[in-house]
Parts: sequence; C-alpha cells; structure tokens
Amino acid sequence: MSSFDHYLNRILVAAGSEARAEGSTVIEAHHLLLAIARDGSPVLASAGLDHAAVRGALDREFERSLAAAGVRVDGGLPLATPLAEGSPQLGATAKAVLERGFAAARRKRDCRPGHVLLGVLLTPVGTVPRALELAAADRDGLAEDVRREIAGGGDDR
Amino acid sequence: MPVEISASGEVADRLASVGALRRLADRVEDAAVEEAMRSGWGWPQVAEALGVTRQAVYKKHAKRLIAAGVALRRRAG
Repeated sequence: MSSFDHYLNRILVAAGSEARAEGSTVIEAHHLLLAIARDGSPVLASAGLDHAAVRGALDREFERSLAAAGVRVDGGLPLATPLAEGSPQLGATAKAVLERGFAAARRKRDCRPGHVLLGVLLTPVGTVPRALELAAADRDGLAEDVRREIAGGGDDR
Repeated sequence: MPVEISASGEVADRLASVGALRRLADRVEDAAVEEAMRSGWGWPQVAEALGVTRQAVYKKHAKRLIAAGVALRRRAG
C-alpha cells in the first residue's frame, strides 16, 4: 500500500470511531472532518480548528438545525451504549467527499492526504459547510491553503 | 437562470433540520430502547411501543445491547 492508502485507511478507521461514538451506523462527511482534525492537519490547526473546535461547531450546527424545526434539546442528548464493534459503512456525504477529493488529483497515484481534507472543504451544502460557517472558518480560503500544501509537496505523510 | 445555493438561509436551514431531527430520533431511540430492555421490557412490547415490527427493532438494536451486556428477555411477559 502507498503512504496515501495508509493515511486514508487510518482516517476511515478514525471516522468510523467518530460515527460509532455518535451512535451512527454510517460514516458521514463530518465524521471525516473530525477524524482529520484528530489526526492533525496543519491547515485546520492554523485556522484554530482542532478536534474540540470542530466538535463544538458541529454541536452548534445540530442545535441550530433543530431550532429551524422548532425543536430544542435541554440537558443534552440521551446517552446510549454505542455499537462496540463493526465498521460503519460510508454514507452518501462521505462518498461525495472522497469523490470530490480524488477528482482534484490528476491520477490516483497523485492523491495526497490533503485531497481528503480538500474533498471535505469542497462540500457545498449540508452539515460540514454549515458547521464551518458557525466556526467562522473561511472554507474557500482553507481549500486554497490545502491546494497550496498539496502543490508544495509539504504533505507527503 | 442559475440559482445561488447557500449552505445557510431559510431553505437550507429547513433541509438541515430534517437531517438533525433524524439524528435526534435515532439517538432518543437508542437510549430509550436500551433503557426499556434494561428494565425488563421484551422485544414485542418495545416494537409495539415504537410502532415497528419485532424483527426491525431486533435487527437494529440486539447486537448493540448484547455487546453492552444487557440481559435480554427471550419471551414476552
């Protein structure tokens, strides 16, 4: 396996853990974002987006979206024992992330870790862009930073 | 004429609320089914209370609850 394959596998495993922790049976785009933030991304870090900041933004997005339907959750979500094992499947939004990211590479072997984050940042609608907006993150600017990082070869993990 | 699609705004908020409500319902269901089974409910009662088939509720929750060490009742009381 190439180093990119190793990276992608690591991120997918971590995203699966994020999904399970949420009680979700599928990996969605925001689980990939959480996994990348946890793994450590210079571009996300430079925007102050560590794992806790991303988690906080996602929680605010959830509250705000519920509020749009007139629903408010007081005292947090009820706790359930998460699925102990098994690999969650890739959901529609996570598949779209990988497709967008890979499409930005010329060939499969040109894929770099940055392409996964780029795919996340290029997600136009839904939970991820809404959460990033709530975190006051400049999605286009971050995508530009990732493209520069990929082009500069400073992303050869 | 192309329409400007934004991740926020009234329509986007309402669409996002659908996904958020589904996630909320799933979380509430996971917790409530676990609580019921821990307090001695059987699959048939839980299924009827949720308005779904026994097979559906078993398929969705049995693996998780068994792994969590919940003592599941074999028969409906």
